[in-house]
Amino acid sequence: MKSIIIGQYIPGKGLFYRLDPRTKIIAVLLIMISVFLLETIEQLLIGLATAIVLLLIGKISILKVIKGLKPIMILLIFTFIFQIILNREGETIVSQQMYFTGYTLLLLILAFIVWRILNKLVKYRFTLFFLFAAGVFLILSYVDFGPKIAEPFTFNIYRAGLEMSFFVVVRLLIIITLSTVLTLTTKPTDLTQGLEKLMHPMKKIGFDSESFALIISISLRYIPTIFDEANKIMLAQASRGADFSEGKLKDKLRQVISLLVPMFIIAFMRSEELANAMESRNFVPGEKRTRINELYFSHRDIIATIFSFLILALAIVLKVM
Amino acid sequence: MGIRFNEVSYGYSSFAQGLYTAIKDINLEITEKNEFIALVGHTGSGKSTLAKHMNALIFPTSGTLEIFGHTITNKRNKKIKYNDIRKKVGLVFQFPEYQLFEETVEKDIMFGPMNFKITKEEAKKLAKQSLNLVGLDDSYLSRNPYNLSGGEKKRVSIAGILAMDPDILVLDEPTSGLDPAGKRILMDLFKNINETTGKTIVIITHDMDLVYQYFNRVLVMNDGHLVFDGKTEVLFQKEDLTDYHLDYPNTIKVLKYLNQELNLNMNVFQKTNAEALAEIKRAVRL
Amino acid sequence: MSYIEIKNLTFSYNEKTNVLEDVNLEINKGEWIAVLGHNGSGKSTLAKTLVGLLEPQKGEISIDGLVMNDEFAYEIRKKIGIVFQNPDNQFVGVTVRDDIAFGMENLCVPREEMLEKISFYAEKVNMLNFLDSEPANLSGGQKQRVAIAGILAMQSDIIIFDEATSMLDPFSREELIKYIKTLHQDGLTIIMITHDINEALLADRILVMNKGKVYAFEDTEEIMKKKSIFTDSHLELPVSLDLANALTDNQEYKEIREKLWEYALMK
Repeated sequence: MKSIIIGQYIPGKGLFYRLDPRTKIIAVLLIMISVFLLETIEQLLIGLATAIVLLLIGKISILKVIKGLKPIMILLIFTFIFQIILNREGETIVSQQMYFTGYTLLLLILAFIVWRILNKLVKYRFTLFFLFAAGVFLILSYVDFGPKIAEPFTFNIYRAGLEMSFFVVVRLLIIITLSTVLTLTTKPTDLTQGLEKLMHPMKKIGFDSESFALIISISLRYIPTIFDEANKIMLAQASRGADFSEGKLKDKLRQVISLLVPMFIIAFMRSEELANAMESRNFVPGEKRTRINELYFSHRDIIATIFSFLILALAIVLKVM
Repeated sequence: MGIRFNEVSYGYSSFAQGLYTAIKDINLEITEKNEFIALVGHTGSGKSTLAKHMNALIFPTSGTLEIFGHTITNKRNKKIKYNDIRKKVGLVFQFPEYQLFEETVEKDIMFGPMNFKITKEEAKKLAKQSLNLVGLDDSYLSRNPYNLSGGEKKRVSIAGILAMDPDILVLDEPTSGLDPAGKRILMDLFKNINETTGKTIVIITHDMDLVYQYFNRVLVMNDGHLVFDGKTEVLFQKEDLTDYHLDYPNTIKVLKYLNQELNLNMNVFQKTNAEALAEIKRAVRL
Repeated sequence: MSYIEIKNLTFSYNEKTNVLEDVNLEINKGEWIAVLGHNGSGKSTLAKTLVGLLEPQKGEISIDGLVMNDEFAYEIRKKIGIVFQNPDNQFVGVTVRDDIAFGMENLCVPREEMLEKISFYAEKVNMLNFLDSEPANLSGGQKQRVAIAGILAMQSDIIIFDEATSMLDPFSREELIKYIKTLHQDGLTIIMITHDINEALLADRILVMNKGKVYAFEDTEEIMKKKSIFTDSHLELPVSLDLANALTDNQEYKEIREKLWEYALMK
């Protein structure tokens, strides 16, 4: 393992790469606030369209953003489902009688097994999940024969529920897209430096933003090293028979300990040596330092900041009206 | 039996270098008895990757590997108990800190054997035996492994592998970071284990003096290829080792220098200082 | 007065045993000193007290007339830099540029000046093409060279190498030694802690530590004639000198002895 990509940063040259990290952080914050102020689906859809236009302007591949969305897809789906089930306002648009009988149970188990098996064989797991969910719905709706286990109940979807779930999901989508743009186009170090400068005024309330930034940047620097080391420790313990893919649950606990203890001890030794190296190079925590990496505000940044303030203003106007 | 590499290559893709091939088309056989083998090569030559194949920690990307009757290919085979292989071929990593984790030396050494379903009493017995085998007495059993010196930690980590009673023992740079005396003591120990138990031992090292003095067979890795597999004497009789990125042992270098400067005709292939001294005296008397 | 003076230095981590015991040393400006000793002889502890990372129980260290104490430690560390054993545990920056800058940032050097010095010293250790590289993509030897550049950029004129080559392979070692030679030629004072007797031969004087005490501190050529110093301290002489010492003062070996010495001291 020579290198792993830290964060989601992908080197590139588009407009967003040339913006100062501070601008990007402020803009993302402002637009997020704006999104929370929006009240109708129409407004939100316009917001989503704007986000997509921004991606196009920045020459950021939408595919990459969608890839970035993958881990939180589950979250989006659950939000959607919960909103539909729990929100009981407005007129009903779907009303379905549901049954739960012995056959239902059997079929549900069968459907579950089929789903798990197929899940290992086919590629499109999300599609498969939706098919499974639809199957469950159909089974519950139409299998009304056989020994009754529970009383039939009615499953209702209300207009407000549907609207609300759609609303929440689109809102999340916009926010995640924006933050993905931020992390895709900004080096982790620039991001921490941007945060550091923006949090600088907090020094008055005792928050040392410089030390904070240094801690983050050192952590970032050591992520690949520690990753590499964890890998080696795992192999070393596997050589002693601690193979994680074999063995019982009881043994696994000890095996996990056999990984964690060396990792912690090496990390402690490492941090001690690092502290020595820093001190020998005259680092004194909290003292004034000059910086090799400076941030520069250009006209581009000014325009971008004004633009994001305009969006916020627009959102406020819409809210008030 | 033992280990046999058939056309084994191993590659991985990395962000920095793209597709990177660590070892290429390796053919190699290591028998399970009485061998004492040095594995040498520059940094990045693939020697560590080669070693990790020997107990199936990593699988070849192409080619096959036979380890004590198990055939290892590029896919994990559910029929193979990889732990059985790890028990037969013990691999000791360079830094003992990678594996020591228990609060006493005894418990730590027992960790390996206990993973192979034996009773606690048996494991205790094995721990004691292997600790003695690496030259530490019973008083170490109750000590905390983290309070030992670098050399002692190294021995305990080796004992941890020996306790699993492997037929083949592979060690990654066991002498690095030790002072000259420590190096020799450890090498004598390996030689002794090899001779008394008949276990095959493979040692990765950069130290050509040790290679020349202790080993009969040497494997040379260079840019992912196994470029030499044979007698140590034959390797160092080669005219030029720069292609292999290797250096000569010090005795050979010094005697060559004398030959060249003083127009002598000494036999430069002397393994120890005593032998070199005898050769100088012989040459001068002539 | 010598450039570095150590008087009656005693250090211990606990009350039982002294890691350093009554160490007295004088080192001149521009000298290259090699420190040899078995594992646990106190070599690294000596290095750490020299840069003020450890505070001795007794004794005094002064560098260029400044006595090491809380008040002057900061000033002294400007003059003296240390390259540690593990290349990975001293690389603070996210990139080579950031790491070379780290010490200067602490000294509040203005940014423009930092940029100039970074280019200059990166060039000196042949790392100019790697300024944007991350440590994960550098070899151990390259990381050690970056550490040297970082120290040079702080305008230090004493560099301690605390087993800085011990985690490198033979070729990176040899390369690093070449850079240390040029540093010495530039007039820097070098203190090199090592296990490698062949590296030690390059020094002007060799200090042999044994159980926390100064066992011997003599000119390289002189000390190499005394085999007992090395055997007493669990050390080994280089092959050539071990042979030279074994060839008795007999006239017939004179020429060979001379050549063996010549070989050993080839720099």
